[in-house]
Amino acid sequence: MSLLDVIRPRIRALDAMPSVPAIVQPLAELLREDPDRVNLDKVVELVSYDSTLVAQCLRMANSPLFGRRDTETVRGAVLALGIKRVEAIVLGCCLNRIVPPDKWALDALTFWRHCLGCALVSSKMARLIGYPDPEKAYLAGLLHDVGILVNTVTCTEEYRRTIEQARRGRIRLHESEQQSLGFTHCRSGAILAEQWKFSLDVRAVIEFHHDVVKSVTARPLVALVHLSDLLCRLRELGYGYYEAIGVDLAGDEAWSMLLESCPALAKMDLARLTLDIDGAMDEIVSVVDAVFRPEAIAAK
Amino acid sequence: MNRPIETVETAAKTAPTETQDLRDPSYLKIRDVVYQISGIYHPEEKLYLLAARCARRMTAVKAATPSEYLDHLTVRGSREAELRLLLNEITIGETYMFRSPQQLEALRSVILPQILQDKAALGFKRLHVWSAGCSTGEEPYTLAMFLLELKETLLCGWTFDILATDLNDNSLVAAKAGIYGEYALRSTSDLLRRKYFKTYDQNRLQAGEELKSLIRFDRVNLTDDSKMTFLKGMDLIFCCNVLIYFDLASKRKVMQHFYANLLPGGYLFLGHAESLYQVDDRFHLMHFPGAIGYWKPPVGYVAGVKR
Repeated sequence: MSLLDVIRPRIRALDAMPSVPAIVQPLAELLREDPDRVNLDKVVELVSYDSTLVAQCLRMANSPLFGRRDTETVRGAVLALGIKRVEAIVLGCCLNRIVPPDKWALDALTFWRHCLGCALVSSKMARLIGYPDPEKAYLAGLLHDVGILVNTVTCTEEYRRTIEQARRGRIRLHESEQQSLGFTHCRSGAILAEQWKFSLDVRAVIEFHHDVVKSVTARPLVALVHLSDLLCRLRELGYGYYEAIGVDLAGDEAWSMLLESCPALAKMDLARLTLDIDGAMDEIVSVVDAVFRPEAIAAK
Repeated sequence: MNRPIETVETAAKTAPTETQDLRDPSYLKIRDVVYQISGIYHPEEKLYLLAARCARRMTAVKAATPSEYLDHLTVRGSREAELRLLLNEITIGETYMFRSPQQLEALRSVILPQILQDKAALGFKRLHVWSAGCSTGEEPYTLAMFLLELKETLLCGWTFDILATDLNDNSLVAAKAGIYGEYALRSTSDLLRRKYFKTYDQNRLQAGEELKSLIRFDRVNLTDDSKMTFLKGMDLIFCCNVLIYFDLASKRKVMQHFYANLLPGGYLFLGHAESLYQVDDRFHLMHFPGAIGYWKPPVGYVAGVKR
């Protein structure tokens, strides 16, 4: 019996955890409609039930990262952010709740800064290189590391040691996981993604973002998130430590994969994108601290 | 985090004020002009820094609005001179020792081990470093301390030297003297101060012999073909906020020289906000934790092969 067989039932159990709010299902159904025909009132109503979601939508809608709209109502925030972005926020909130506050191995703020950073870089890069769906890139960037949450909940103590080992050796987290757990957050994340019925594209990103050549579906998206993830880890938006690595991004296999469908990548100003990440850092930290700080959540 | 520009006193004093409306689209245009001509980039979130620097020049040329100042940079006859003055403002205070700790950390943990391994395999045990555009010497003295601190460990059994060049004679005189006050030494630890400097007067320290003996100072014009051709065999070149003053043709020429001056596997480092976008496509842009460098790949390097 492999370790994965051991962990699989533990992951299934997540689905029944009371902390997963009831909002996911009805929202997913609402969003299945054509984007122009989504019932906005219903979405606003659903979001309004949950004070954390309300706070997060308002904070995001008023952030310069998303264009800053000076909006004070949920309706205004949903309009400013767009339905897709609201969906990403809802999923982020729900995922955050699967980890009890005292179980975090990688601390919550570090984790969500990395996810939000990766989401922003993915959607920005998507726009720069003409990838057709920047919002999907945002969602995939935000969710690519859900496996870390799964590992945190299912293997709390072992996982703390796994992260400590990666931090001390300055090695890649998924390599440390493979060594100590026998599987990576890509595998455990993929199982959760299946349970939560994420789209096939997002599931491919979750499963293959550290092993892009193995992906069959959504190869450009997987490659794009892989590159964003790498960039974030190289600019203080990583897992709370710096890996001892030097990376030739344009020489990465993901770069060639992405180039096939987005030739504009060859002309992208990578140094400028890197400086843009640094520029956005303060606001990313500020947004994440405002919405994911344990006290902020407890106060709601 | 590497955010040196913000730590400069001048920037701190000129935080956004009501007179600088950052929503004025002219600032974005000024940002783009500066980037296009010099390669120095300000992300939108850091526009207030650029606005602060512009504010001083706007006062000097009596421009009432950013839009008017944009004219000074783009359509007036004196635009080239004005751009140079603005670039001077932008880079003021950029020079102090240990200004880019993450760059040094990348050198220590990733770059040097690789270079040393490759060179040792060929039987070489000597490292050549060049500070091109060394100004008043902060960079070469930093590199000297950095290398000396590694001589018992990573660089055990190796010899190394630093070439420090500049075009400006006054800067070179100051660099050779090696006398620094608190500003230049703000990020230099007490330990390193005691180890490598001696007291010069009440407020200043002077670089000691161990540092000076490692560095050779020379006057070099980076666009001078006859001189540049002879500076071969470099492992690392540092050229911080120098290319920004050159036009595109000169930049390309200097980059050609740098490429030829570097050994295969060597690195070029620029200022932290400088980009070589559309200037050179032979160097590979390499990312390290918190730092980027331009790499001359070894012969036979195949993209995609992990190092």
